[in-house]
Amino acid sequence: MLKNILPGDLIEVTTLDNKFLGKYFASPDKNHLVLKLDSGYNIGIKKNKIKGVKMVKKFNKKPVPKVKLDIKKGLKNVSILHTGGTISSAVDYSTGGVNPHFTPEELIAMFPEIKEIANIRSRLVRNMASDDMRFAHYNILAKEIEKEVKKATQGIIITHGTDTMHYTAAALSFILEDLNVPVILIGAQRSSDRGSSDAAMNFICATTFIAKTDFCDVAICMHKSENDDFCVIIPGTKARKMHTSRRDAFKVVNSSNIAEISYPDCKINFLGKHKKVEDRKLKLKLLKENLKIGLVKAHPQMFAEELNVYEKFNGLVLEGTGLGHFPINKIDEFTSEHSKIFNKIKTLANKMPVVMSPQTIFGRLQMNVYSPGRLIQEIGVIGNYSDMTPETTFIKLAWLLSNHPKEVKEMMLENLRGELTKRLLE
Amino acid sequence: MIDYKKLGFKCGLEFHQQLETHKLFCNCPSIVHDDNPSINFKRKLRAVAGETGEVDLAAAFEQNKDKVFTYESCPTSSCMVEFDEEPPHEVNSEALDIVLEVALLLNCKIVDQIHFMRKTVVDGSNVSGFQRTAMVGIDGFVETSKGKVKISSVCLEEEAAKKVEDHYRLDRLGVALVEIATDPDIKDADHAKEAASIIGMILRSTGKVKRGIGTIRQDVNVSIKGKERVEVKGFQDLRSIPVVIDNEIMRQQSLSKSVPEVRKAEPDGSTTFLRPMPGAARMYPETDIVPIEITDSKLKTIKLPELLTEKAIKLEKKFNLNADLAKELIKEDIDIESYVKQFSKIDVKLLATILTAYPKDLKSRLNLDSSKLTKEHYFEIFTLLNKGEISKEAVIELMADAASGKKIDASRFKNVSEDSLKKELEKIVAKNKGASLNALMGEAMKHFRGKADGQRIMEILKTLI
Repeated sequence: MLKNILPGDLIEVTTLDNKFLGKYFASPDKNHLVLKLDSGYNIGIKKNKIKGVKMVKKFNKKPVPKVKLDIKKGLKNVSILHTGGTISSAVDYSTGGVNPHFTPEELIAMFPEIKEIANIRSRLVRNMASDDMRFAHYNILAKEIEKEVKKATQGIIITHGTDTMHYTAAALSFILEDLNVPVILIGAQRSSDRGSSDAAMNFICATTFIAKTDFCDVAICMHKSENDDFCVIIPGTKARKMHTSRRDAFKVVNSSNIAEISYPDCKINFLGKHKKVEDRKLKLKLLKENLKIGLVKAHPQMFAEELNVYEKFNGLVLEGTGLGHFPINKIDEFTSEHSKIFNKIKTLANKMPVVMSPQTIFGRLQMNVYSPGRLIQEIGVIGNYSDMTPETTFIKLAWLLSNHPKEVKEMMLENLRGELTKRLLE
Repeated sequence: MIDYKKLGFKCGLEFHQQLETHKLFCNCPSIVHDDNPSINFKRKLRAVAGETGEVDLAAAFEQNKDKVFTYESCPTSSCMVEFDEEPPHEVNSEALDIVLEVALLLNCKIVDQIHFMRKTVVDGSNVSGFQRTAMVGIDGFVETSKGKVKISSVCLEEEAAKKVEDHYRLDRLGVALVEIATDPDIKDADHAKEAASIIGMILRSTGKVKRGIGTIRQDVNVSIKGKERVEVKGFQDLRSIPVVIDNEIMRQQSLSKSVPEVRKAEPDGSTTFLRPMPGAARMYPETDIVPIEITDSKLKTIKLPELLTEKAIKLEKKFNLNADLAKELIKEDIDIESYVKQFSKIDVKLLATILTAYPKDLKSRLNLDSSKLTKEHYFEIFTLLNKGEISKEAVIELMADAASGKKIDASRFKNVSEDSLKKELEKIVAKNKGASLNALMGEAMKHFRGKADGQRIMEILKTLI
């Protein structure tokens, strides 16, 4: 019935009781044919009611008007690496598909302001939801960044799905040793097809930040609040997605933002000291791609069984309650399982690094205040006094196991990339 | 006299009616109120390239203004869905049911699977930059005195925010709307008014649409041969439709070059420019909402109400009322049958008149606020009338008491007995020897207005002279 009919084709659909004229629209629905009517509305027609489909006019995709890219003297060269996600995709209005927009021309067409801020290079590294990211992807990104650095780029922007953007930011922070250009990750919480998208503002602020400053580190650039008035630069190892949907989902944890950028006038205000561009050589300290690192959260009614799965892992991050605790005390007839948990953690800690992190997200671990914390330390769990988020702890453990496997315990509490804050002010 | 046919008059109507349910995509109530808004935020909107790769004309028009939009909201009537900080929740199923009911009443075919679309709006009135809308019914019709007017579509959509001075209030944003569009089947200016009133009546027949100012809006699309289509918005009431249409025809006739545009109906019957006509490229799928299949078994659960016009005819016949009175009772949503049951001795016509016309008289003749009259007031007055303790002339006086905040005092209107009425009337006749019947009647009414039936007084006077 739909042979030779492609999305965008104008077709006439005859059903048992009606006749429709419209453009065939791509849809994953098996039971309905989706038609875009002349009014612009889409409707789904039950396939088993359709008597016939007639081709009226083949779709003729109009070429996207070419934007000329001039290299402007005096502007910095900024490379944009796309990994997919909401920020770099756009809806194809005629077919219904969501396509990535990643060429420099397409980006300039979407955000024309950019060409006055920097000379951009742009390409797609991967087109994926950030939830699908694995260590291999961090390595690919790092290598692509190195390529750009060798081509004398003066800054990198990575467009990224927001869900795991803070993991990637932490991973790149560790992998890119002696980084000599700024690497800014940006995302969007509202898709760029809509007038209210946060994509443009995040993109323009990040580009301006690279273009106008000597900043040199891995950071995230996203909305400061629900207003379209400021973006913040959040350190790559201290950022976390703290809201499912708000524009200002990314927050700095146990540290402070590096800078604020006003919008649309793009005035930059540094909020403290920052790492500056220096003449040094970038070294890639990649992650081992077959590493197995666990991340497990303490909770009431926990069973030792939950930890069985980590027996053959390379490392484990515990998300402890409060100051760094797990249910390990047998206090009555109902808590004998807790002795098993204690023994299980002990076994695991003998085989691999087991690192504590706070499930409260905010604040520092203090495992000497209560006895469970002391007991856990005694059986070899490390990480006391850390204020890293569980996600940064997870990435740091993987990176240490990849690059400094013999020094995991010592280096875990050594501040390598700004991941540890000695003085907490809130 | 305008010769519409000769002019190539083309006209279609569009309605936006708010539904009596909570908001379409969240659990906020659909209430418009004036509490102090405690939530404020600012946004910018960007025009987005449309289907053809070009930025949509209407979108570009607004984008040129390069505006920062300020929004304010009360925590009681909007949430993060309206702030565009949270994706839409499940579609309000009650709203969908009402729209299905409306679509069926308008003889539409129901779409097998409805798809919500994003209609680009960049004037700031939708925080998201688009309005969510879905086509639910197509190919319907209403019967009018000048033939069928086809209904091209019935859609379920969300309301826009309300502009207040230089910013937007979010209480109205997201309120569920039914949008009804007719084909350009309207034959002349009066026909537009008739079709509009029929569709309005059908909407009210559901009993599930909001009532009152601003809850329904009619737009009229008008063009004549050789001129572009103009959409006229913002009619104050149906009565102004014919005048505005005729004026718009004359305006278009006087133009050497016309452009498609949206215009506003002014109170004086003229129209003024609002904005260019939005292009067709502004609609694309709302990917946050899954398409909804409307099954036959779902449609069977939609109960269709009796139309208000049918109800009025029934009343007319049952109580032998005149058509206008019956219509008025229906329009005011007065359950006359329950009054008839309770106050069986009062004539139905009188009951109906007291309930529909008297409140208006209070306003127009005595400048009193009839809304102060409660059910209990009516009950008290009807009870007195039903027992024969007061005459019908006293009713309006007692209603006036209640409307001006006084206690209903029937003592001054208590019917005088037949004996004392006769005695008093004899006195009056004796005092005014030789006076005409009318003059005597006038004199008698001064004493007995509200205390005795006028007709009875006349009868007694006739026997006395």
